[in-house]
Amino acid sequence: MSEHSPAASAFRGHSREFQLLCDGASTILWLDERAQKALHVAVGDSLRARAAPGTQDKVHRLFMQAEASTLGSEAWEVVLEVSGQPLVVALYASTLIEHGADSKVAITGSLVPSDYGAALGQVSANLSEMATLHRETDRQQRELLRRHEELVRLHAQLQESYRGVVALHHEIGEKDDSLRRASEIKTRLVANVSHEFRTPLNSILGLTKLLLSRADGDLTDEQETQLNFVRQSAESLYALVNDMLDLSKTEAERVALRTHTFAADNFFTSLRGMLRPLANDPAVELHFEPPVGVADLDTDEGKLAQILRNLVANALKFTERGEVRVSIQQNADDTLSLCVSDTGIGIPYAEQKRVFEEFYQADNPLQRVHKGTGLGLTLSQNLAVRLGGSLELVSEPGHGSTFTLKIPRYHPEAREVAALVERSQVVAPGHQPVLVVEDDRQTLLLYEKYLRGSGFQVIPARSLDEARAALKRVKPAAVVLDIMLDGEASWSFLHDLKANEATRDVPALVVTVTNREERARALGADEFFMKPMEREWLLNKLKAMAGRQELNTLLVIDDDKVARYLVKKTLADSPYRVIEAADGNEGVLLAKKHLPDVIFLDFVMPEMSAFDVLDELKRDPATRNIPVVIYTSKNLAEEERRRLEQEASAILPKQSLSREIAIARIREALEKAGIRGAKGDLSP
Amino acid sequence: MSAFELPTSALPRTEAYLRAVLANDSRAALRVVEDELAAGTSAALLQLFLVVPAQHEIGRLWQDNQITVAQEHLATAISQLVLSRLYSRLPRAEANGFSVLVACVEGEQHDMGARIGADFLEMAGFDVRFLGANVQPAKLIEALQGHLPTLLALSASLHFHLSGLRAAIAAARTVAPLLPIVVGGALLQTAPRLADELGVKAFGARADELAFTCRQLLGLEAARAREVESA
Repeated sequence: MSEHSPAASAFRGHSREFQLLCDGASTILWLDERAQKALHVAVGDSLRARAAPGTQDKVHRLFMQAEASTLGSEAWEVVLEVSGQPLVVALYASTLIEHGADSKVAITGSLVPSDYGAALGQVSANLSEMATLHRETDRQQRELLRRHEELVRLHAQLQESYRGVVALHHEIGEKDDSLRRASEIKTRLVANVSHEFRTPLNSILGLTKLLLSRADGDLTDEQETQLNFVRQSAESLYALVNDMLDLSKTEAERVALRTHTFAADNFFTSLRGMLRPLANDPAVELHFEPPVGVADLDTDEGKLAQILRNLVANALKFTERGEVRVSIQQNADDTLSLCVSDTGIGIPYAEQKRVFEEFYQADNPLQRVHKGTGLGLTLSQNLAVRLGGSLELVSEPGHGSTFTLKIPRYHPEAREVAALVERSQVVAPGHQPVLVVEDDRQTLLLYEKYLRGSGFQVIPARSLDEARAALKRVKPAAVVLDIMLDGEASWSFLHDLKANEATRDVPALVVTVTNREERARALGADEFFMKPMEREWLLNKLKAMAGRQELNTLLVIDDDKVARYLVKKTLADSPYRVIEAADGNEGVLLAKKHLPDVIFLDFVMPEMSAFDVLDELKRDPATRNIPVVIYTSKNLAEEERRRLEQEASAILPKQSLSREIAIARIREALEKAGIRGAKGDLSP
Repeated sequence: MSAFELPTSALPRTEAYLRAVLANDSRAALRVVEDELAAGTSAALLQLFLVVPAQHEIGRLWQDNQITVAQEHLATAISQLVLSRLYSRLPRAEANGFSVLVACVEGEQHDMGARIGADFLEMAGFDVRFLGANVQPAKLIEALQGHLPTLLALSASLHFHLSGLRAAIAAARTVAPLLPIVVGGALLQTAPRLADELGVKAFGARADELAFTCRQLLGLEAARAREVESA
C-alpha cells in the first residue's frame, strides 16, 4: 500500500465513505462514483473475487451472515485487491431483502488510512527482524560458550600432561642421581679395595723373592717349583689390581694429565725398547713404521705409551704367525692416528662391540692359553677419551685386527693451561693475583672460568714447587690450595706459608674432597671448603679476604687529550687508578683487557660513536656489566638521552666535572649496576 | 472477546495465554509461559501447543471479524517475544553436521510457522539459517551461493503462494540442481500431488514434522531405528 495508490488519491480531500449494493453472492448490483474510483470495480463484479488472496473467506462469511440477518452493527475489516495492491477497507453491511436469490445487501464502506496499515506492516516486519537478530545473538553466545568449554577442557588436558611430564622428569632426575651415586660408590670401592690389596701382595712378592734367593737357607727342587707358582700367581694378581686401580681412576676422571712436548720418533724408539721382551716368538714380527712428517706432540706421553703397550701386548697374544705393525700418521685436522694391526685370529663381528666392556673376553683357544685381566681394552679406551680422542676397532675374523687410536696432537686442556700459564706471567693491571695450587688441569681451568671478570687473576701452580716459585715472583691476594695434591707435603706447604713472615698475611683457602677442616684450621688456613665448590661462594670468600687491598680501575675513553688529563687530575689521590683510551676502538680493547670497574665515555668522538662503543661492550659477556658513565659537553637530544639512559649507568655533563660530582656519579653507577657498591673509601 | 474456540491439541493454559495476548498484556503472556516452564512443560511443547494454537485462533478471530488487523499484529508481536524467550531454553541435540536453509516464499508474509520449524530443526541438531518472510528468488540464490546447505526448507501456506513457491524452487535449482527441498505449510497439504510435480518433499503442517522429514531424507531416522532395534 503506498500513498500514491489510485484509491487513496481518488478520495483525497473527499469523504472516505462509499456505498454499494450487492446480492447474496456478493455480486455488485449498484455502486456510487466513489466506490468505483476507490475499489476499481463495476456492476456485475464479485466483491468476494476481489478480496485479497487468503481473505476471500472473510468476505464470504460477511455475506453469509447478511443472508442470515445475523449481522451486528460493527464494521468488518476486509482486504481487497486493487490494482494488484491490498487495500484495507471497513464495511458496514445491512440486509435489505433476506430471502433467496433476491436477497440484497447494502454496504457502506470506508478506507482505513493507508499509512496506518503500512505502519502496522512495517512494525511487524521489524519485529520479525529483531526476533531473528535475537536468535543470532543467542546462537553466537552458545557457540562462544561451547568454545570456551572446549578450551577449558583442552587446558585441563594440557595441565595433566604437563604434570605427567614434570613427574616423569623428576623421576628420571632421581634415577640419574642414584645411578651416578651407585657408579661413584663402585668406583671408590674398587679403588680402595685395589689399593688395600697392593700392600699384602707386595709383601707376598717380596717374601717369595727372598725365599727364592735362598737368603734363609736352601730350598728343595719341589719347594722352588712351588714358590715359583706362588710368585706367578701373585704377579698376575698384582697386574689385575693395577689395571683395576687405573680403570677406577680414569672413571672417576681423577687421573691427572701430565703433558709435555715430545717427538714421535723418540716415542716410538722407547716404546720399541719397552715392548721387545714381549715379542719373543720368532714366527711373529713386531714392526714399528718410522714416523714420517709427524710434528712434535704435546700430550701425556705416559698415557699414550700405556695405551699402545696394551694394544701391542694384545695383538701379540692373539697372533700366532705373521706380524704386528705399529704406525703413526698426522691428519689434516691436526689429529694423529696411531694404528696397531696384526695378522692374528681376528674378532668375530658379533663380539667387536663388546671387547671394550670390562672383564669381557672373547671365547677362543688362544684366550685360554694367554690369561689376561680383561681390563686392558676398557682402560685403553678410557685413557683415549682422557687424551681427547677415541679408540676404534676394525677386524676380520681369521685375518687380523686393527686398533686405531685417534687423538689431537696438542691436548686441548694442555693448550688452554699453557695459555693460562702464559697469561699469569704478567698480572693484568687492576687485577689481584690468586695463586691456585692444583695439579688437575680441568679444575685449574674451572677456577679461571669462575674468576673471569671478577677482578681476580689465576696464577696457576701445578705442583708445590711451582707454587713456591710463584710466591717468590708475586705476592698473591690469596692462595687456593688443593690439599690432595701431594698428601703430607701439601700440609707442610700450608704450614710453611703461614710460618713465613713474608707470606703469613696471605689468606689461604684449603680445598679438599674429605673433611679435614680442623687440621686445615690448625695449620692456619683462613677458609676451608669441600669439593665441589660453587662460584658464588668462592668469589665471596676471595672478596671478603682480599677486599681490603682492592684497587679500582677507571677507563676514560675520550679523543680530547685535555679532557682525559682533567679526569686524571680530578681523580688523583682517589681510590681510582685511571687508564686512558684516545678513541672508541682502543677503549673497547682496553676494556676487554683490563676489565675496569667503571668506564667514562665521551659522547662525541670522531670515529666510533658512544652508541657503537656501548653496543660493543654489551656484546662481550666479560664487559657487559661494567658500569658506563657518559660524560659530555653536548646538549643531548631527547631521543639520544632516552637511549643513553637505557644503556649507560649515568650521564655527566663535562662542564660540571668536579671531584665530588665525579666520585658521587661513579658510586651511583656502581650501585646501579649492583657491583661492589660499598667498596673502598669513595669520599673525596 | 472471550467466546473463541481452541484447537483440541492446545494446552490447558492456552486460553489464559490467548486472553493475555489479545489484551495486549505481554507480561501476563510471559507469566503464563514462565509458569508452564516452572511446572515442567518443555519449551518445545509450549511452542507447539501454546503459541501455535493461539496464533491460529488469532487468525480465525480476524476472519470472524472479531479483531482488527492492528490487534492481530500486536498479538503476533507478543508471540514473537515469547518465542524469543523460549528460544534460549530449547533442549538441543548434539550437532549432527548438517545444515538447513529456511525461507518463506515470495509473498508469504507470515513467518511464524517457518520460524518455529527452524527452531525445531535446531533442537534436532541441524545448523540452521533462517531468512524470514517474503524472500525474493534473487535473495534466495544469493544465500545459497554464499553457503550451500544440506537441505532447503520453504514455507508457503496459501494457494495464492503457489507462484512464489514455483519461483523459489526454480531459483534454487539454478544454483543447486540436486539440493533436496522440503516444503511446509498448508499449501501442499491440500494438494499432495503437487509435491511430486514440483520434485520436492512435503511435510505436515506441524513444526516438529519438518525436523522429522529432514532427518528422514538424510537417512538419520533409519539409522536411529536400527540403533533402537539393535539395542
